[in-house]
Order: sequence, then C-alpha cells, then structure tokens
Amino acid sequence: MRRPYALALLVPALAVLVVFLVIPLVNLLVTSFHAFSSTQGITSRWTFENYTRFLFDRFYLDVLVRTLRVGLETTVLCALLGYPVALFLQQTRGATRNWLTLLLLSPLLVSMVIRAYGWVIILGRNGPIPLYTEGAIIVGLVHVSLAYMVLPVLASLEQIDPSVLRAAASLGASPLTTFRRVTLPLTFPGLLAGCVIVFSLSVSAFVTPSILGGTRVKLLSTYIYDQVVSLLNWPYGSAIGFVLIAVSTIALLVFSRVLRKSQTEVVLG
Amino acid sequence: MMRTLHRVYVALVYIFLIAPIAVVVLASLTTTNFVTFPPRGLTLAWYAAIFAHPEFVNSLLLSLVVGAGTALVAGTFGTLAAVAIAREQVIGAGLWLALLSSPLVIPSVVLGIALLQWFTIIALPAGVVPLVIGHTVLALPYVVRLVCAGLAGIDPALERAAAGLGATPFQRLRRVTLPLIAPSVIAGALFAFITSFDDLTVALFVVSTNVMTLPVRIYNYMQFNYDPLITSVSTVMIVLSIVLVVVVERVIGVGRLFGKAAAE
Repeated sequence: MRRPYALALLVPALAVLVVFLVIPLVNLLVTSFHAFSSTQGITSRWTFENYTRFLFDRFYLDVLVRTLRVGLETTVLCALLGYPVALFLQQTRGATRNWLTLLLLSPLLVSMVIRAYGWVIILGRNGPIPLYTEGAIIVGLVHVSLAYMVLPVLASLEQIDPSVLRAAASLGASPLTTFRRVTLPLTFPGLLAGCVIVFSLSVSAFVTPSILGGTRVKLLSTYIYDQVVSLLNWPYGSAIGFVLIAVSTIALLVFSRVLRKSQTEVVLG
Repeated sequence: MMRTLHRVYVALVYIFLIAPIAVVVLASLTTTNFVTFPPRGLTLAWYAAIFAHPEFVNSLLLSLVVGAGTALVAGTFGTLAAVAIAREQVIGAGLWLALLSSPLVIPSVVLGIALLQWFTIIALPAGVVPLVIGHTVLALPYVVRLVCAGLAGIDPALERAAAGLGATPFQRLRRVTLPLIAPSVIAGALFAFITSFDDLTVALFVVSTNVMTLPVRIYNYMQFNYDPLITSVSTVMIVLSIVLVVVVERVIGVGRLFGKAAAE
C-alpha cells in the first residue's frame, strides 16, 4: 500500500537537517579549499594547501596520531572496565539491577563540563595522573563513554540462550572455560559495537580534552577550535574538521567490517 | 572467590563513575574561597553567592528555555519522521533513517563552526532561535530512534482496525498511534532536553556575550576563576537533572525509558 502523505511527515525533520546540517557542511567544505592570508582573511584563491599542510607537517601528524592513540586507549579501557559490569548486571535480578542500571546511566544526565571539572578537582591533587596530560584526558573520556560500552555488551549477553551455558557445564567445562569458549565469543558482536561507539565518541570529543588537556595537550578537536576561534584561520580549521570526519568514518567502516566477519565466524563456529 | 572478586571490581567501577560528581557536590560546601577537596568547614554560602551573580541565573533560565524549545521541536519533528519510517512504509525508509542519523557521525565541534559560518551568511543574530536549531540537529537522531523502537513494540493490528473502522490517516495517528507510543515520545523529548541542556560545544560557537547558556557560562568562568561558585552552580544543575528524571520515572518508569530503548 503506497501512502504518499507519509512523505509529508518526513518533511519538517529533513528540512531542518538539509538547511542546518547539509548546506552548512557543504559551505564549510568549500571554505576548506580556499587559501587564507593573515592580512586578508579568507581569499578567493582555490587551493589544496590546507590539506597538504596537514598531511605533510610532522607537528600536525603528531596531533592526529595522539588523537587516535587516545581514542584507542579509551576504547580498550572501557572494554576492560565495562565488560565485567555488563556481566554483573546480567547476573543480577530485580531492584538491585534497576538501581545499578540507573546509577550507571545517571552520569549521562550531568553536563560533561561539570564531570570534567570534577576530574580537575580530583586529578589536581597531584595524584598518579597529573592534570593536562593524555592520561587525564583518557580518564575523563572513559568516564564519559563507559555506559555506551556496557549497554551493547549487556544486550548481547541477554541474547545468549541459557541452555547453551548449561550444556557447556554438563560437558565438564569449568566456569572460566565456559566464559572463555562460549560467553565471550557469543558477545563479541556486542563488544565490537560498544568499541565502535566509544572510539568515535572519543576521537571527536571536545569538552573533555579541552578541560582536562588544557593548553598543553591538544587533540584534533581542540586544534580545530584554536584555528577557528583564536587564529581565525577558517580554511585550515575546517580542513582539519574534515580530516576528523574522515578518520572517524574510516574507523566506523573498519570496525563494522570486522563486526560482520566476526558474526559469520560465530555462526559458522 | 571469583564472585567476590567480581563484586569488588564492579564496586570500584561504580566508585569511579560517581566520584567526579560527588566531589563537585561536596566541594560546594567548603568555607574556603578556593575549590578544595575534601571541603573545609560546612557552609551554604556558595549557594547564596549564585544570587549575587545574576548572569548565572539568566544563563540557567536561557538553558531551560532552549532545552524546552529543543524538546518541543525535535520531539515533534522526530516523532513525525519516525511514524513515516516505521509505520507508513514511506518510499526509501532506509535512506531517510540514515540521513536522520547522520548528525551522530559529525563531530559537534565541526557542526559548531559550520553553523557559525552559516548563521553569519544568513544573518541570523545570536539568541534562542539559533541555539534551538543547533540543538535540534543534535537531538533529532535520538528522538527518531527512540520513537522507532517504541513503534516496533505496538501491535499494527490496532492501527489496521482503526483504518478498517473508517478512521482517516490523521485520526488514526492522533487517536490510536500517538497515545500508544506516548512513553517513547516523552522519552525522546526528554533526551532532546538533556542533549540541549548538556551541550557546550555547539553552543560555544553560537552564543554571544549577552546570550549565553549555562554550560558555556560555567566553561568560561572556570578558565579564569578558581572560587567554589562553579561547584554550587553545578550542584544546582545536577539537582535539576535528577528532579527531571524522578518526575519522568514517576510518569512512565525508568525501566521503559532506558532499559529497552537505550539498548537498541
């Protein structure tokens, strides 16, 4: 049954996205191919130099590498901290579980500015991880993204048929072996989905690196801000912006390819 | 043994989750005029101090107005779009859903500069309108996904019955579909409000010195000031979020709000 009026329901949302997301991004893409001069601002000359400058300058490549490293370390830490929590939630029932879920999600309701400030107070006490370092940024990012790791893992744990686990136990597998050979492979898709979300959240995060990295440790997102707001170099700032979009899109594609492969492997044994 | 170890590990993770928030709340009670933890002495003076800074009160009111505006606009537009995609078999549903989810993959710092440039081109002055626009772009994907999840949970036979009994498409939407998915629509609007209330990055580019949301105000203040005013303002913000969630929990239940929808 064709329903032409259904398209009308889509019009308001799509109009907002076209006018205030697609067109502004196209505009920014055009800007990134223009030359910049410190005296005249954005000039009308077309150029690739904003991109070549980024890709051939050691200094900026370091920022890119640092951003990827922080994203990767955050993702691994979230997996190590989040998986046992998901497992615990799955094994718990009733009110305790509701409370623990609520407690897990409640930090999401607190502004990221405030959460980062809490870490400024804690890390400012000269502990093992000093403020304005990569470590400080990673602590903040793990705190922000942990729930996004736990939820997909929990969802895939819930999908495991309990009889599979009972079968493993009755065939003589110890709890640890059952976990390693049965539970972990079956939850691999959920774990990877969590990794994708956490990685793309952390490479593009701005608030946490800005407050916990300060002026000392810069990531791509905070560099973009500096270029545009402090140096008014819009073309270069937007070029880095599109590099950032490319990086997180490539990561998403790589992850989802691995994800698809792992799903077929689980099914085929 | 394993079980105990597991419990301890999970407890430590939860302490990690709560720590920065607890520290901010506790630090707001200090009698010192600099932020310190644990707080020294016990006073509510930093809460009284908020009223000596009308710019914080104004920013809070602005944030509430922008949040409500975003909840209304993103909630309405997102719900209509979700109904079109999940119920009305619109042509190209997959493509529309992908487009509506696209703000999720655009870093908000890039969205911020793109909007700043665009608002300058179309000469839209700083104020509530550009903030609501920016936050609506951020929040639409969440609303669409939550409402789509809600629609997946209701029986299509109810809508077919309404159609069979002679209801027009509009009557069917208003009298049958919308009441059935009301919890997910409210959840979507709440998510939109929180997205807006929490946002620093996009707002940072869109605000002016006169029109500044609370996260931007806090962010700017803490660049140059070290007094505990930030901690008391933050605590007020935290309490407001908790009140909001408790109210919504009483109305529709947190289980329904997060449990199913967030795992989608």
